[in-house]
Amino acid sequence: MRNFLLISIITALNSLFMASCHDSPDYSDTNLGNFDALADIIDTHYCFLEDKGIDWKATVAKYRESITPETSFIELFFICSQLLDELEDGHVNLTSRFATSYYRAWWTDYPQDFNLRTLEEYYLDFNWLSTSGILYKQLPGEIAYMYYPSFSSVISETSLDYILAILYNSRGLIIDIRDNGGGMLTNINTLVGRFIDKEITGAYIQHKTGPGHSDFSEPYPITYKPAEDWHIKWDGPIVVLTNRSCFSAANSFVAVMKNLPNVTIVGAKTGGGGGMPFTSEMPNGWGVRFSACPLLDADLKCIENGIDPSPGCEVHSPQEELAEGRDAILDFAIDMLKDNPLPFPDEEGEQDN
Amino acid sequence: MKSNPNLSLMKKNIYLILFLSLFLATIDSQAQEIVEVVEIAEAEEYVDSVESRPVTGYYSVEIGGSSVLATYLSPLKYTGKNIGVSGFWTKALPFNPQHAVMNFKGDANLSSLMNPAKTASMIGMFFDFSWGMEWRTKLPCDIQVSAGGAVQIAGGLYYLLRNSNNPVETIANLSLDISASLSKSFRIGRLPILVSDRIQIPSLGVFFSAEYGETYYEIYLGNRKGLVHPGWWGNNFRIDNLLSFTLDFGRTAMSLGYRIYAYNQWANNLNTKVVTNSFVIGVVPGGIGLKNKPKTLPENKIYAIY
Repeated sequence: MRNFLLISIITALNSLFMASCHDSPDYSDTNLGNFDALADIIDTHYCFLEDKGIDWKATVAKYRESITPETSFIELFFICSQLLDELEDGHVNLTSRFATSYYRAWWTDYPQDFNLRTLEEYYLDFNWLSTSGILYKQLPGEIAYMYYPSFSSVISETSLDYILAILYNSRGLIIDIRDNGGGMLTNINTLVGRFIDKEITGAYIQHKTGPGHSDFSEPYPITYKPAEDWHIKWDGPIVVLTNRSCFSAANSFVAVMKNLPNVTIVGAKTGGGGGMPFTSEMPNGWGVRFSACPLLDADLKCIENGIDPSPGCEVHSPQEELAEGRDAILDFAIDMLKDNPLPFPDEEGEQDN
Repeated sequence: MKSNPNLSLMKKNIYLILFLSLFLATIDSQAQEIVEVVEIAEAEEYVDSVESRPVTGYYSVEIGGSSVLATYLSPLKYTGKNIGVSGFWTKALPFNPQHAVMNFKGDANLSSLMNPAKTASMIGMFFDFSWGMEWRTKLPCDIQVSAGGAVQIAGGLYYLLRNSNNPVETIANLSLDISASLSKSFRIGRLPILVSDRIQIPSLGVFFSAEYGETYYEIYLGNRKGLVHPGWWGNNFRIDNLLSFTLDFGRTAMSLGYRIYAYNQWANNLNTKVVTNSFVIGVVPGGIGLKNKPKTLPENKIYAIY
């Protein structure tokens, strides 16, 4: 009986031994342990260290020397936040129970080029329709206008049918995504599907295959399919309005749309955010979000640093003009579209032109 | 032309003989069939009277603790509670019921885990099914050993609620396992007890692992490269060990045990390490055949468990 139990115990211990053959890093919940964990997470998972030419080891060493066992947890939070700010990436956050760090300079250092109140008051006359997170209206001069402030709002195919049906008899369509900070990439498929008649490769995605700074997979194409035949599509001219605060999924949307032949990008360069974020954590429980998977445009160009407007279409809307009720970017788009023919011209209107 | 009366009578006799022959042949074949059926039934009854091979079902619940390191989700080890249910069915095989047994096993487990700082929670769900055969033999001192192989399918997921584009780690394995058990019966007073240790180790197979920094969105898009890996002990080691004490009350048996389940997967620079320790309580309806019973037919039940 004793031998029997001995064999069982040996078997159990053996299973524990075999289960620990591969060692993973073990971080302590101390100031330096937490800092080192954060530094390693970025070192092994962040996807733009090489693209941005960041000497991560040197950067880490610079901040590490300021940490002592006496450093308070709030001080540690700020040191870690400063370390992460070196990445200059709006997708990077450090989250604790008392604060979330956020690198803002990607948009605060640039003109805003947009004022929602100006749009609502002077262009929409406080009178618009909205569904699926999209505000829409036919502007004077038969210009279709949609404002989509967040890709986090799921766009319903049915809602999109109604929007396009109501706006259909227009000279052109303006899709305003200024101040759109991103959201779900799948909404891009829903929107783009209404503007294409055959499948296209609109972007590529990569991922890290290992901890090295240049360990990446081959780019994998992201294809976009046209919406089913029974949905309403738009094949007329389209102008997409952008500003610096177009980020992440909004940035990706612009990257796809700029390649369509009937689309013009008007406004300011987008803010970037071309890396799909992952989440990890430090021993003290603070969460870390960071770019992990690079997104590329159809020409295999990284979109992390933003997308330029179409040639000759960089326009800014100065704050003083916006305050006076004039939106230069929107005016530019309206001017571009106002001379286009209507799909269904009335007797007195379009035929005389 | 007149017919010969003798010839006509002879023809009638021939027809009569043929008819009688045919009738008797039919009767004989029916009689032979009846005899055969009776013989088979008697034979089966005879076999039943000396041997039966009941399915032994073992049903258990378990509760314990689990620790999970899933580096796709987090570099930290999560710990928490684990509960599970399982069923294990065995039956002696007809070609050699004393030695050959077949078994089928199914497990389902649910874990609720927290990170060390208790600021994030993870949910784990895991199942496995296996079918196998073993060869057993009895040694002196009421010791029985068995060894064999099994085919196992196992799967599940770990869901880290606060993660963004890497919220889930999926577990999927198809494997050929080796299994073995060692058991010994003894009595405390008049109560027969079976102590046994059963181990199952997946050895060769295939398993799933997302790539190091790959999102499930990319997999959803259709990129399947590098997801399926051949598995062996070096990159996909699992062990399921159950030490149990089964008390045979005759019509039913109760089992108390300790189970350790360890899983260590290493692929695409990702490590998944799971260790679960559980207290197991189970029942075996019908008992395990150690308790003395009244002498009724069938006289010789061959239990697959012992």
